[in-house]
Amino acid sequence: MDAMTPLERAAAIAKGEAADRLPCNPNVANGAARVLGCKISAFNTDAKTLAQAQIASYRRFGYDGVRIFTDLFAWAEAMGAKVACPDDHTADLAAPAVTSLAAIDGLRPADPRKNGRLPVYLEAMDHLVEAIGHEVGCAAGIVGPFTNAFFLYGVDEAFRLLRKNPAAFHKLCRVSLETCLAYAEAAMAKGLTPTISEPMSSCTVVSPAAFREFSLPYLRELVDFIKAAGRSPVIHICGATQKIWHDVADLGVAGFSVDNVVDLKDCCRAIGSKTKILGHVDPAGIMYGGTPADVRRRTLECILDAHDSPKGYVVMSGCSLPVETPFHNIDAMMRTAREVGYPVDPDKVRAMLAAIPDAAPGA
Amino acid sequence: MNEREARLRQLSDSVVNMDDEGIVELSRNYIQAGHPALDGILGGLVDGMSRAGALYEEEEYFVSDLLLCSDAMYAGLGELTPHLPEEAKNARKPRAVIGVVEGDTHDIGKNLVKIMLETAGFEMHDLGRDVPVADFVAKAKEVEASLVCLSTLMTTTMTNMGRIVALLEQENLRDTVKVIIGGAPVSAAFARKIGADGYAGNAVEAVGMAKRLLGLETPVLA
Repeated sequence: MDAMTPLERAAAIAKGEAADRLPCNPNVANGAARVLGCKISAFNTDAKTLAQAQIASYRRFGYDGVRIFTDLFAWAEAMGAKVACPDDHTADLAAPAVTSLAAIDGLRPADPRKNGRLPVYLEAMDHLVEAIGHEVGCAAGIVGPFTNAFFLYGVDEAFRLLRKNPAAFHKLCRVSLETCLAYAEAAMAKGLTPTISEPMSSCTVVSPAAFREFSLPYLRELVDFIKAAGRSPVIHICGATQKIWHDVADLGVAGFSVDNVVDLKDCCRAIGSKTKILGHVDPAGIMYGGTPADVRRRTLECILDAHDSPKGYVVMSGCSLPVETPFHNIDAMMRTAREVGYPVDPDKVRAMLAAIPDAAPGA
Repeated sequence: MNEREARLRQLSDSVVNMDDEGIVELSRNYIQAGHPALDGILGGLVDGMSRAGALYEEEEYFVSDLLLCSDAMYAGLGELTPHLPEEAKNARKPRAVIGVVEGDTHDIGKNLVKIMLETAGFEMHDLGRDVPVADFVAKAKEVEASLVCLSTLMTTTMTNMGRIVALLEQENLRDTVKVIIGGAPVSAAFARKIGADGYAGNAVEAVGMAKRLLGLETPVLA
């Protein structure tokens, strides 16, 4: 359905050559289970199924990036936290790894080849790369050290620790980082590039000052480690991020994926000359709850806002898609990107926007 | 500022400054100085929580700060509540049921709404997260709630909100129970669509909406 593979497209755009369209990644997550027709819980134990679902979803929609990632809690679990794994829903944190200050010293970095579900993910990476690694970028999703620290200690208690015992919180972040580094190393050895999700770093959750003191130093170590291995990660932070845009961009990452609550144009203006911007169609209100016409409208608006961002732009949802996102909405995003083509002609995009019938009032 | 006002201000400041240790002694001293506990709660602790809420709306405070402010507020309440007059202790507060709908995994937002409504004088019944549809209705019946607060951060569970409203209707509870929804994926339009009474964008808004819907203009905490 596309003239180029995602890798050919990315290479051409990077070199300033002709390409068929902008890269587009609707960000299908555990919804890949709906494409393959398996239960989400299969991803917890069955590496082949985890990879096959990602492959099936990639083939079904033709988007520009696949990722091995099932939920936020796998790294904390590999360090002793308990997760609940529902039959056909995304896993959830059931109990943190430690519940006392004294126990923090007993935490050890996870061994990604042995602990929790991490070995399943690593095996899935082999299957993924073997099947489609030659045509599409394969990513290893990983939770950032700060966010993972919250799951090691329990979210509310971790907030208290951060304020009352900063030294102990730093200890948590340090051992959390060790796990991230080990996992990133294992994933890179298999030929994948880590992408980092850092939701707790959001300005919706903690202050920029707390982010800079407790998250950024460890995030920088992780990013530098990945870069030293010749790869460069994309970072995603949910919610409001404007006050920390420069902090993230100055890490020198391949890209920053932004939530739908930020102003995309402002973001491109602020840090688009430092890093690629990815985003940010509302995954809930539009992709899950909207119509294909809504998806088309928002996708075109995002393209208008961000297509000329100096370091490049990728059409994406503002976060991972809900599991039950209708396929026709994912198709609508891909179709819109294909119709716009490359290079983007803003007048053509405006004409496409104007041609969409108005939405029903109140929708 | 007289001596009583100065003490109230200190209580309020301790909540704003998240000082859950200092506030214990301040609360004891306030009582020992002979001042009424109710004023201390309303003019001190609740005032501090309202200021923290305003700072949160101004994006000066963050989710994590509100949680810690509430730790201080609860520490103060622990000292002051036993000194309330009996009739105030037994006064019937409006009751609210709150929870994160079935299949959801996040509850920071829900906890904030619970804290802010508790501050505003509601008796909160927290069902936690991943709560089946029927449990909301059963609890609302059991405690004779006048308010049900539904939260979600995941789109997969949005549709369950509509099911809860429908079930309340089936049980003929819709006239006595108001429904407020919140969470990233939902909106005022969605609230109208499923027949909820309102959508709140954050915890502070939820309090204002709850009071408006129930016709409570002043703090009811006793």
